[in-house]
Amino acid sequence: MSLTGSRYGRKRNVISSVGGLLCMVACMGIPASAAAQGVRGWVGSTVQVVEMRPLALDTVLRSELTLDALGRPVFDGRLVTCALEDLCTLYALGPQRWTLAATQDVNLTAWGFGVEGLSVTTLLRARARAGDAFVWPRSDDRFDALLGYAQLVRGRVRARAGRQEIRSGLGFAAFDGASVFWTPGRWAIEAYGGWSLARGLREPGYDALKGLESYLTDQNVHVVGGSAGYRHSLTAATVRYQREIHADRASLVSERASLDVTSTLPGVRLSAALDYDFSFQRIGKSHLSATVPLGGGHWLVEATARRYVPYFQLSTIWGYFEPVAYTEAETRVGWSPSSDLGIWLGGGWRSYGDAGATVVLQPLRDDGWRGSAGVQWHPMTRLAVEGRYVLEWLPGGFLNSADAVARFRVREGLGVALSGTTFQQFEQFRLGEGRAFGGGLSTDAELTDRLSFTGGVTVLRHRTPDSTVESPWNQTRGWTSLRVGVGREPGLERGGTR
Amino acid sequence: MNTRGWNVVGWRPVGVVLAVTLVLGVGVAGGVRALQEDRFPHERHQGLFPLCTGCHQGIPASDEADYYPSPEACARCHDGDQEERVEWSPPVAVADNVTFSHAEHARSLEREGDPAQVCEGCHSEPGRGRMSVSEGIQLGQCWSCHEHRSTDHQVDADCTTCHVPLAESRFTRLQIEDIPVPADHEIPGFLSEEHGRRASTEGARCATCHTQDRCAACHVDADRGEIQAIPAAPAQMELPPAVAHYNEPSSHEDAAWLENHRSAAGTAAAECVTCHTSDDCRACHVAPVPGAVAGLPSRSQVVAPGVGVTAHAPDTHESLFFMGIHGSVSAASGASCATCHEQTFCVACHDGPANGGYHPPSFVSRHSAAAFGRTSECSTCHSTEVFCRACHQESGLTGFGRLGPGYHDAEPLWLLRHGQGARQNLESCVSCHQQNDCTQCHGVLGAFKINPHGPDFDAQRAWERSPRACFACHARAPINGSSP
Repeated sequence: MSLTGSRYGRKRNVISSVGGLLCMVACMGIPASAAAQGVRGWVGSTVQVVEMRPLALDTVLRSELTLDALGRPVFDGRLVTCALEDLCTLYALGPQRWTLAATQDVNLTAWGFGVEGLSVTTLLRARARAGDAFVWPRSDDRFDALLGYAQLVRGRVRARAGRQEIRSGLGFAAFDGASVFWTPGRWAIEAYGGWSLARGLREPGYDALKGLESYLTDQNVHVVGGSAGYRHSLTAATVRYQREIHADRASLVSERASLDVTSTLPGVRLSAALDYDFSFQRIGKSHLSATVPLGGGHWLVEATARRYVPYFQLSTIWGYFEPVAYTEAETRVGWSPSSDLGIWLGGGWRSYGDAGATVVLQPLRDDGWRGSAGVQWHPMTRLAVEGRYVLEWLPGGFLNSADAVARFRVREGLGVALSGTTFQQFEQFRLGEGRAFGGGLSTDAELTDRLSFTGGVTVLRHRTPDSTVESPWNQTRGWTSLRVGVGREPGLERGGTR
Repeated sequence: MNTRGWNVVGWRPVGVVLAVTLVLGVGVAGGVRALQEDRFPHERHQGLFPLCTGCHQGIPASDEADYYPSPEACARCHDGDQEERVEWSPPVAVADNVTFSHAEHARSLEREGDPAQVCEGCHSEPGRGRMSVSEGIQLGQCWSCHEHRSTDHQVDADCTTCHVPLAESRFTRLQIEDIPVPADHEIPGFLSEEHGRRASTEGARCATCHTQDRCAACHVDADRGEIQAIPAAPAQMELPPAVAHYNEPSSHEDAAWLENHRSAAGTAAAECVTCHTSDDCRACHVAPVPGAVAGLPSRSQVVAPGVGVTAHAPDTHESLFFMGIHGSVSAASGASCATCHEQTFCVACHDGPANGGYHPPSFVSRHSAAAFGRTSECSTCHSTEVFCRACHQESGLTGFGRLGPGYHDAEPLWLLRHGQGARQNLESCVSCHQQNDCTQCHGVLGAFKINPHGPDFDAQRAWERSPRACFACHARAPINGSSP
């Protein structure tokens, strides 16, 4: 089994990317009055920067340790782990790091090439980075064709070819291939197939995960799938099947199905979903949610029963570790006495299944609960205020946080927002001390009818009771984004997508 | 409908006095009556002119130039010697919309042998003789032959008997504005429902008072047959301004109309195009639009503005909890989402370089708890290995090699107790640890050879489905013993 990426796969990815680029260039080069009836889209430039002190594993001599109030060995107030005789290890703050990630997006949809219903859609992304050794995730991936497909609509049939994605109860599935979508009457039938891309990415897994994961195969992954949906009045249901398999057909990657239903009955809105994993012969994630408007629609009561089990592709070992599901009951109540005010309150309790793992001393908790409350308020036309409080107490983790943001429209096309946050957080089975405080200022401006700008900065500071421990939460973040609308379409006041 | 231009020199003061006296003394009705009186004293001349055509010789041939006698003809008697002089000029014909033909009626005169009697029938007051000519015609006389079906003369489909279409008239804008509104136009629902039905059967009646332009001011489908049958106004005709007005059909009031209008558009697009241009549809529908939309004319192609629909989010989108459920809605009815949203819309947020609004502000600073207690699958948008693990690595939060010493310091003897936590939240483990970290202990070749499979593990099925994954831990095939 080769651990290197297939040169054929890389070639296909390059072809796909170049194809998308050519589509974009072709679209930009087409005069609106000539071949294409219209071109619409946007070009966006985003820059993000972060400054922080990452954690670094350090060593300390056992002789330099002291004991805390619980009798645990600490160094400079921080817990240490002593596995060797003389040396102990601890997580200490490293030097200050900063990084800047820049992305350039180009999204264009062009249609009307003399063929009725034909259009081309591209969403291309180029990346660059600056800064020191700290690397923003994916900023070294210079170019991605997020989407790049040609679409033909004839009557009730829509066909696509190229890089596309399917959004469904099985999540997002991006692939290079073809799809056909047919809507006879109240039905919606879809079939698709092609080369599957890594989850959450736009590249084959062996390319995208090289160096990041231990066991990789050089095989392409083929995906085939289909769905059938039926809609009647205010009820819609879709059943879907999807299968991914390595190109050499030696191993299956996934084989799943899903059922999603929404229905608005008199006095209640229902939502239900369920997926089934044929590989492990088990039900995956599922939920049943009922939302009831009361008091003339001013009250909204939502009750949800949820079952969640992590899903892993068969190409990794994780699924064979047999993660267990949790079941949860959650209720939310919302109150909107007017369109200017909305308040909600919610809470949930969950229980994890029997992990069947070895128990030392005593088992870990297998239940948890969470609660939250929030408000959306427009005290005046130009001012919007949102606030949220979250309290979560789950096995191994804890969060107690409050956030607020006030958005003010200075004038038409110009807004500013002021945000604040504070939280206590115990990460996964890791002690947390103190509280983090932060605030931010951002602005959004429509400079012209096609040009818009957003930007802002947030600062976060971690304070412990004795102010001795510094934390990676002491960080500063900033971003700017410039977006230019391109082209025009009847019914749209400016370029853009919806 | 003509007016007379008869002025008698010397009689003018008397006429003015009489007119003022009549207006002041008799009132408006009397005044109107006075204005309607023939200002040429026909009765005083009745002995001189035995035939109407003696003076109006152009009438039988519909020769407008000879409808009235010339001033020279009057001066033969009114020469200042025999009779006092008079100033005479033929009346100026004003626009009318009457289809009356004197020539046709002249032929009927001849058939009946008494032309004078026939003139009298329309132009003289009944019973007062041929020369009792009055202003205007006696409509009742027309109806004695041309049967009228209604007591209200405008409520009748047979307008064409007497009237030409408005477009063929020489009506001015003021005259058009003064056309009285028939009583049946005032009934409830006339504009929204009734007028279309009547136009299909009584188009000629519509054309009497309307030009095609009036229909096209509202109707997007002005090319439909009923409208095209109504003559358009000639270029020189000045029309009153027409403001488009659209009534909402009762079908649109249904709560599910937005969701169900597609089927109506598919089966009855001809009705949609009455009020809607394709611009209306494109306010929501993204290109390339459905065939029913593409078939509609655009606003630039028609005179009517159309309803002017603006993009309107469904009620579901207004819910406080919509962001939380939109994934389910999309999964159940993705076709509905695709009506208004292109795929790039989803990607721009779900794969946006800066958070597009899915997560609340400052989410990144406390995302670990949300990820740990996840209710939705983070990895469907975020690659666990590339997105999560890479960033955790940069932040110093990633285990390198075996389980990082001391990181999970909230649990004593973590290494011995991590099994339960891993099975409960394996996705969180994966956000820091590679497969290699686990196989160092759990693999057959690992340090402790600890079996990671749970009690219900079906090895046979796993081997059949994905044998390649087995060799991450097993040196030989776990089922039949073959090598990789």
